[in-house]
Amino acid sequence: MKLSNRYNKANILTSIVVLIITGFVYYVVIHFILTEKLDRDLAVEENEINQYINTYHKLPLPASYLDQQISYKTLNGVNLEREFLNTVYFNPKERENEPGRSLVTVVHLDGKTIAVTITKSRVESENLIRIILLITLGITVILLISLLLINRFVLNRLWRPFYSILNRMKAFEVTRMDTIEQEPTNIDEFNELNKSVNAMAERVRQDYKELKSFTDNASHEMMTPLAVINSKLDSLLQTESFTEQQGALLEDIYHATGKLSRLHQSLLLLAKIENNLIPDFQHIQLKEMIEAKTRQFQELLEKSKLILRADLAPVEITMSRYLADILLNNLFSNAVRHNVTGGHISVKLDQYGLSISNSGRAHQVQTKIFDRFSKTVDSDGMGLGLAITKQICNLYGFRIDYYEESGEHTFTVYFGS
Amino acid sequence: MKILVIEDERALLESILAYFTGEGNICEYASDFAAANEKISLYSYDCILLDLGLPGGEGLELLTRLKQLKKRDGVLIISARHSLDDKLMGLDLGADDYLVKPFHLSELKARVSAIIRRKNFDGANVIIFNEITVDVSAMKITVRGNQVFLTKKEFDLLVYFLSNRNKVVTKNAMAEHLWGDEMDLSDDFDFIYTHVKNLRKKLLEAGAADYLRSVYGIGYKFGDV
Repeated sequence: MKLSNRYNKANILTSIVVLIITGFVYYVVIHFILTEKLDRDLAVEENEINQYINTYHKLPLPASYLDQQISYKTLNGVNLEREFLNTVYFNPKERENEPGRSLVTVVHLDGKTIAVTITKSRVESENLIRIILLITLGITVILLISLLLINRFVLNRLWRPFYSILNRMKAFEVTRMDTIEQEPTNIDEFNELNKSVNAMAERVRQDYKELKSFTDNASHEMMTPLAVINSKLDSLLQTESFTEQQGALLEDIYHATGKLSRLHQSLLLLAKIENNLIPDFQHIQLKEMIEAKTRQFQELLEKSKLILRADLAPVEITMSRYLADILLNNLFSNAVRHNVTGGHISVKLDQYGLSISNSGRAHQVQTKIFDRFSKTVDSDGMGLGLAITKQICNLYGFRIDYYEESGEHTFTVYFGS
Repeated sequence: MKILVIEDERALLESILAYFTGEGNICEYASDFAAANEKISLYSYDCILLDLGLPGGEGLELLTRLKQLKKRDGVLIISARHSLDDKLMGLDLGADDYLVKPFHLSELKARVSAIIRRKNFDGANVIIFNEITVDVSAMKITVRGNQVFLTKKEFDLLVYFLSNRNKVVTKNAMAEHLWGDEMDLSDDFDFIYTHVKNLRKKLLEAGAADYLRSVYGIGYKFGDV
């Protein structure tokens, strides 16, 4: 639930409860005041009747005027209390029953006890109350609507810097070395958030930079001893006084150093691609490049008696020639390495993508096939080739997919995303 | 041939000097920027092997210096930095080639020989070894006057052997030379055997002596019988 929604909910709920209670209290008080006023009017009328009787010693005419009715009734020894009541009476003018307020009182005239009922219409006061209630309700509704609107627009505007900062954080990528820009706002909390986020990004970037330069330096420093080992091996080989057994040992050392330096170069290359340090773009005729690559792999194909099937359409893509070469190398090496003797490799190139499939053993599908150092048990590769391939694809917005179906392994690079 | 090796790593320098000395080659060395600067100012070399990271200065500056002195020394950069920028900048400043550490000494020798051939013979790029004559620019080989027809790979292999004559060349180095080190080859270089076998057969048929020998299964040696 969004903060503003939760806030809205609490706000509106409270407003409704408070307004209902207010409306109720309002109604009761106004009702009470109006009844009081009617009662006072009735008492004035009673007073006038009493004065009339005292002056003229007779009852005034039972009148029915305006919204007021007076009626008399001779009581025969029945005692009656003076009281105010709510009644319903017939209004001859309107020809209908109307709610009224009555005062029943007792007067004494010529030894007779007469009950006087004075009734006043309550319609007006009821109307008044209704109008007041409607106005109150109207104001309540207007208030609620304006509250909602305020929440919707003002709050949204208030929170805009927050969402903007959030989006920048989401888009932040340490490898791109970009900064989170300051979002101009005069709200203290957001300013503080902004500052903290920027400080954090700066720290992360700094750490990353240090790590990167460490890796860089470490790699270069490692190259020199490797070069020494390699050159010493070459020199040692020239002394020519080895037995067959020592020769085999030397060969193993050669292989290990060769692997180490390749591993090293692959890691450096990965770092370079990730940091976008290979910025050259060229238009590449992929068809020609693949044909050259198949010639380069000729010996390897012959050695494993592999049959190559190629279905190539002329396609031009824009990327670094160096990386394109590595991409093809890795895919071809992979197809050769994980093949079976007498198997086949099919290469298909069209506008949408390049797919290379090869026969091989049926493996369980590896979901981590593109991860670094992930390789099958029987693979003698380093497990970096596909990671590099994937990185190259990422760099140019290509998508790479792998699937295996009954021993047929297919890698597809889609040029569009 | 007169060669100057500018390299601050002592062990590597010694290996290079040991590999290059002999067969009429004169090798000198410099281990820091100042010494290198002095040597290139005073003398001329057929080829200079230049390490970029030097104590006391940046190796690329030496290239600029050579240019200022209007010297025609061949320059091969050897660097631990596998960076495209460095490579392009080095070649821009007049270096002839660029080799990334670690490298095989045989590869280094082949490249240096190529530079020297290009510099010294001004287009007439010919290697003569006893009865074998190789015209590198025309890709033409004759043995006692008979032309030998080789495939591109066999030709490259022969030139490589001739640059490293009397040295043991590993199959690993040969594979990297012929197929490039970017190609992630398996550790099994047996497929090279076919090329070596064919090359040897063709040379023998043309009347050359049997100069190729297999060494401990690691590599081959091409040289005087």
